[in-house]
Amino acid sequence: MSLAAAPGTGSTSASPTAAGLWRGGRGILLVALIVVVGAVIGVLLGGSGGGRPLDPADTSPSGGRALAQLLRAHGVQVTRVTSVAEAEAAGSRDRTLLLSDTSFLSEKEAGRLGAIPADLLVVGVQPYQELITPGVRTTKKVRARSREPRCELRAATGAGSAYLGGSSLTAPSGATGCYPADGRPTLVSYPDEGRTITVAGDGQFMSNLRLAEDGNAALAMNLAGARPSLVWLVAPETAPQATGEQGLYDLIPGGVRWAVVQLAVVVLLLALWRGRRLGPVVAERLPVVVRAAETVEGRGRLYRARRARDRAAAALRTSFVDRVTPRLGLPSAAGPDAKVEAIAERTGQARPHVGAALYGPPPADEAGLVALAAYLDMLERQVKES
Amino acid sequence: MALTGRAALLALLGTLAVLFAPQPAPAVAGVALLLLALIAVDLLLAAGVRQLRFTRSGDRLIRLGESATVELIVENPGPRRARGLLRDAWPPSAGTAPRRLPLDVPAGERRRLITTLTPTRRGDREAVTVTVRTLGPLGIAARQGSHRVPWSVRVLPPFLSRKHLPAKLSRLRELEGQHPSMVRGQGTEFDSLREYVAGDDVRSIDWRATARRNDVVVRTWRPERDRRVLIVLDTGRTSAGRVGTAPVPLAGEMPGTGGLYGGAAVVPGWPRLDWSMDAALLLAALAARAGDRVDFLAYDRAVRAWVSGASRTELLSSLVNTMAPLEAELVEADSAGMVAAILARAKRRSLVVVLTDLNAASLEEGLLPMLPQLSARHLVLLAAVSDPQVAAMAAGRGTPELVYNAAAAEHQNAGRRRITARLRRQGVEVVDAAPEQIAPALADAYLALKAAGRL
Repeated sequence: MSLAAAPGTGSTSASPTAAGLWRGGRGILLVALIVVVGAVIGVLLGGSGGGRPLDPADTSPSGGRALAQLLRAHGVQVTRVTSVAEAEAAGSRDRTLLLSDTSFLSEKEAGRLGAIPADLLVVGVQPYQELITPGVRTTKKVRARSREPRCELRAATGAGSAYLGGSSLTAPSGATGCYPADGRPTLVSYPDEGRTITVAGDGQFMSNLRLAEDGNAALAMNLAGARPSLVWLVAPETAPQATGEQGLYDLIPGGVRWAVVQLAVVVLLLALWRGRRLGPVVAERLPVVVRAAETVEGRGRLYRARRARDRAAAALRTSFVDRVTPRLGLPSAAGPDAKVEAIAERTGQARPHVGAALYGPPPADEAGLVALAAYLDMLERQVKES
Repeated sequence: MALTGRAALLALLGTLAVLFAPQPAPAVAGVALLLLALIAVDLLLAAGVRQLRFTRSGDRLIRLGESATVELIVENPGPRRARGLLRDAWPPSAGTAPRRLPLDVPAGERRRLITTLTPTRRGDREAVTVTVRTLGPLGIAARQGSHRVPWSVRVLPPFLSRKHLPAKLSRLRELEGQHPSMVRGQGTEFDSLREYVAGDDVRSIDWRATARRNDVVVRTWRPERDRRVLIVLDTGRTSAGRVGTAPVPLAGEMPGTGGLYGGAAVVPGWPRLDWSMDAALLLAALAARAGDRVDFLAYDRAVRAWVSGASRTELLSSLVNTMAPLEAELVEADSAGMVAAILARAKRRSLVVVLTDLNAASLEEGLLPMLPQLSARHLVLLAAVSDPQVAAMAAGRGTPELVYNAAAAEHQNAGRRRITARLRRQGVEVVDAAPEQIAPALADAYLALKAAGRL
């Protein structure tokens, strides 16, 4: 490499230009545009997705418009209500109250619902089932499918097999249980203070999708059309406005809620401020950092893990002999006996001791190994000092 | 573009406005629009980054352990004052300080910014980018952009063993006879004839010349000169192992992180390669002063570096320059290839100094079978850096763990002794010394060979 390189003069901008950004990003933009346009067209063509289950005004597969039409054709007056107060007031004296979804009701409202003097038809499992229909409890979930009535209830026997299931029920005494699943009924009907209460584990047999199958339509007509007037309670389209009961959220002034929005903007700006790096991250190829002694340490740990006293002792003895032999004035090829003799003579140690330390069996335990190392050290010191 | 803390602060003040506004929802929108407008104005009024021009000057060569200053001249040809921050980005091991510089260049003027590099390892350090952030007059938003301003700083090996050079040179002068004793001995060659002066050794009188010249003439002698020394550096995997303690602080580590081993734990030391380079530099300096010709070869599986025929004054600088970017390759060195490369390059008899590791396993398989080829034509000296850590482990006693470690260390030492003995039987000189001692030990071995006239 030439050392006397010309002093750096040129500097080139490494930042992308607006034109470069446009060239690089227009493909991505085009793809994004196609995705958005496709999604919009899909939504527009698909119409309103996701119906409101068992709503007499809903035409989607899960809605209940078909049943409502059928009932009206048979002279039943169908009234769609969205609150308990309306349900109490609506319809004539001789009426049936149909409940399919009461999850929007409070506990108090559910209790009022159970007290309305009307025949009650509850389809599907409700959150306050024990308040609306005391005595009926759900036991376990079962699959909804076509089932046989197997009971004496006229509405059921007249209809024949129907699409039922959902949840199996326990009936109060005096009740008729139909469409059993695993021995327990999924439809229960019983008289209560002059009115009839009917509970079905699942309401799909009344939906637009299932109404034409099996005896579903007949069963639904028999149950819902038993009285000249039907009050059909469904969930309101919008969340109910809290009346009287105010939560903590409602007590916060509007300014504070918008201030929280503004604080989110502050956090966003802080993130943008702190998150912007001044230039790129610089990567570097670094040399490996490995201590040369690691292999020796590894061998030491291996000796210890395998309790290799024989090998450890052999290594210590060999190095001792290698170091001591020149000091004794012996050739390195001298035999073991000559070495032991010379060492014993120089140190004044007993010959058998020295022989056992140098050429004896490996130590029986780790304490023996430590002792052997110390003894060899002592011998070496004495050889040096003599 | 980039935002500053002021933008967030303004938004925070906007929160107060929203809190007490009669109509909070429009207030949020209003504050957002106001902020956007301010940011846009600030961005428009900030100095352009793209138009800035940069020029560099400063150090290009430094030794490891020293600091280099690199100047960056920022020229602002635009119509607006460029005020903000500048980051001159270098690789982490370049040890850049300060990491970001304040920038304030009025329109049409230029300013000089100085960055100090304290590299923590050898090799070439290339400047990456210069990133500038220019603030607008309100200080809410900033334009940001990068420029490539190439510059590289070569970090040379530190040649720490040069402190041993004066002592070794005085030994050399003793050999050369620059002080009065003009004695003939081994390791000397015939230099010239001159007239006898009182005090000369009578044994050095050349009787035949005396007879011709009708005057008493003595022969003068001088040490052998113009011998060839080939220093071979093994850059294979064994040279990557770190031994001793790094003489240059933080070598091979990131500054400010307390070391890769968490500070208090074992410091990884310096690679064998760097110790070997240090020894090679001392030997080269000494041999060049002694009048020998020094060549240098670095090899693992291919020739990594080759310096030949450098003049005596240029030798050291070309050696450190060649060595600077060398790194240990994590492959087993190819000994056969190395011997072939040496034989191809050293035509005349040379002293071949191989700086490698006395690793029994790899030497027995690699270099040992090839040595007869080499020692038939050259004098081979093998120098290896031993590990003080292993020596310390060999002395461990007291607990089973320490004794097992001592046994492992002794096992390795026995291997080194065995291989050293085999090498010596083959006529190879072996220098095996601790990291701090390898350079003087190698120099001593060279001087001893020279004194013995074995070059």
